[in-house]
Amino acid sequence: MTLAITGAGRVVPPAGAAPAWPQGVATVPEPVRARAARAERTTQLVLPAAAAALGAAGLLATQGAPRPRMGLVLGTAFGCFLTNAAYARRLVAAGPAAASPRLFAATVSNAAAGELAIAYRLGGPSITVSAGGASGLVALAHAADVLAAGRADAVLAGGTDAAGEPLAAWLADADLAADARHAEAAAVVVLEPLDAAAARRATVLGTLEGTGVGFEPAPRDAGAGEGLAAAVARACAAAGIAARDAALVVAAAPPPLAPLERRVLGDAVRTLRPKEALGETFGAAGVLGLLAALDALAAGARALVLDVCPSGHVAAAVVGAGARP
Amino acid sequence: MGSSARAVVVTGCGVLAPLGVGVPVFWEALVAGRSAVAPIARFPAHDLAPRNACEVQAALPPDPDRAGAFALRAADEALADAGLAAPCRTRTGVVLGTTLGGMEIFERWDAARAAGAAAPPDVDRIPYFAPAVRLARTLGCRGPVATTQLACASGTHAVALAADWVRRGEADVVLAGGTDLLCRFVVTGFNALRATAERARPFDRDRRGLVLGEGAAVVVVEAAAHAAARGARVRARLLGAGAAGDAVHMTAPDREGGGAARAIAAALAEAGVPPAAVGFVSAHGTGTVYNDAMEAAALARVFGARRVPVNSIKGAIGHTLGAAGAFEVVACVQTLATGVIPPTAGLAHLDPACEALDVVAGEARRVPVAVTVSTSSGFAGTNAALVLGAP
Repeated sequence: MTLAITGAGRVVPPAGAAPAWPQGVATVPEPVRARAARAERTTQLVLPAAAAALGAAGLLATQGAPRPRMGLVLGTAFGCFLTNAAYARRLVAAGPAAASPRLFAATVSNAAAGELAIAYRLGGPSITVSAGGASGLVALAHAADVLAAGRADAVLAGGTDAAGEPLAAWLADADLAADARHAEAAAVVVLEPLDAAAARRATVLGTLEGTGVGFEPAPRDAGAGEGLAAAVARACAAAGIAARDAALVVAAAPPPLAPLERRVLGDAVRTLRPKEALGETFGAAGVLGLLAALDALAAGARALVLDVCPSGHVAAAVVGAGARP
Repeated sequence: MGSSARAVVVTGCGVLAPLGVGVPVFWEALVAGRSAVAPIARFPAHDLAPRNACEVQAALPPDPDRAGAFALRAADEALADAGLAAPCRTRTGVVLGTTLGGMEIFERWDAARAAGAAAPPDVDRIPYFAPAVRLARTLGCRGPVATTQLACASGTHAVALAADWVRRGEADVVLAGGTDLLCRFVVTGFNALRATAERARPFDRDRRGLVLGEGAAVVVVEAAAHAAARGARVRARLLGAGAAGDAVHMTAPDREGGGAARAIAAALAEAGVPPAAVGFVSAHGTGTVYNDAMEAAALARVFGARRVPVNSIKGAIGHTLGAAGAFEVVACVQTLATGVIPPTAGLAHLDPACEALDVVAGEARRVPVAVTVSTSSGFAGTNAALVLGAP
């Protein structure tokens, strides 16, 4: 099922910048600013990205009853890690009497989805998935399931992850940073069936034509690649293309996993590596890669977008060029 | 799901529960109305109030990754039950729900850092996706692997995501379920929210809150054609799934049950099953004042004046959070197979506000059931529901 991408939004703080909040408050609709200002970090990142995406799609609302046919699928590698750390440290330092109900309520990785649903009146499926650095594309793939099953008319889908201590220290200890610069970001798109987008005359920024999700139990091994190859094959089969037909490949592997990606892709004609500029943004990475592909694709062309994580999670998506905004 | 050319079935179940190890022990205890609620014994609880919970009592090999170990044990039983000694690695996936993952390992890691000591060896098992990764590595999976993060509805949606993967052709077999552990982090959090009580009394007029539990439940979700080709016994059919956000409040449920009703109605619509055909609802039934009233409102919205039989297993095993919905799926499969609905442990006096519900209490009810609904709700206003049918 080919889906229309009718809106997109990304929040990518400049490298080394101080947290962009509360300055970022100005980029969310006024009725949402108070919630945004007190939200945890992944929520703060994704609220303005979602406003941009829903606004571009002509589907932004901040008031009224929840819209039951508007769904939400978010991906996040670490979700509420920073909130968990803050809650746990306070508990250890001062005991149960000091346990913060406010902090604890945000120790769920679907906190961002809950805040998005409230802020933008999304009353359909509200789903969060975690698949390491592949979380963003896994979320897009599941959003496609939601639409294919008719559980929603449109789905806001994408990913978000925050950065900061002690997450950075843990990534180093767990060897998940994989030599990449860790950065925070959020990126989301609005997906809907092509005919529905056409019927309401929405601008189609691109198309999501196929997805595949897989796993590599030992991604650094010389023989690894079976899971990624299968995911690429499923994404291409759904799109009705061969991998070599993609005009563009968005590579995602951090340096230690580059051989894995090369084994699967061979010598691709043209490769984008957005992580070289954006850093490793985990949950946001796949959708940032997808948006980079849409920025670069010529009319009628398709790109193969990958997510590859040292955790073993891998995913692939085939996207097609849309109308230039 | 039911009308799809690629129908989806459950072919195996496994549990590691506070009531015991393995589906037969778990089921016998549920049917007998037993409860695992007891004072916390595995970690210091002298300064906790309330301090009762439903702990896994089984003697397990020492393993710092308790949630991962639970999941592996439940998955072993589910695979054996399904007759899948060695599932095809390229066509097998894993999806688990959890709300705590390796939180105990985080606490050890953070303490080691503060002390300037070396990181513990299992430091990579801290994140929420760690239990699914551990199970996938153990099985050598190359198929899809993910972790559902819908708070206390994670286990329910894990089964729904597995069914979607099978239907889309991502995999033929998916190990799906949930796992969570008890630790000071989660007990103090729910206590701070004043959501807990010493006894779990779902739907009771005197209910005061939930009792936390721990454990894992895993089911084998499989393409019906794949199961048929290998001659597998089908335990249940996965007919439909639904999910919905309340879009009302981050921790309190929608008083009117709007999100839960939308999730249940969507699952029934996808299954092509009218509400009148549902023989049993496995409710979220946490035993908090607001959840149970919300659920009564949601079920009334879906089922109207019809008093469909309902139970909650949280009086027996506590609220196992990310595993809760997966335990319910196993219980639903057992009800479909046996025609027995376990009683709601802890329920003595039905809350007048829940009188619209036919809550099974006191003793198990014997009644043939062809279709069941399982429903879960969680923090951030998330709701998920599944419809299961007899083979």
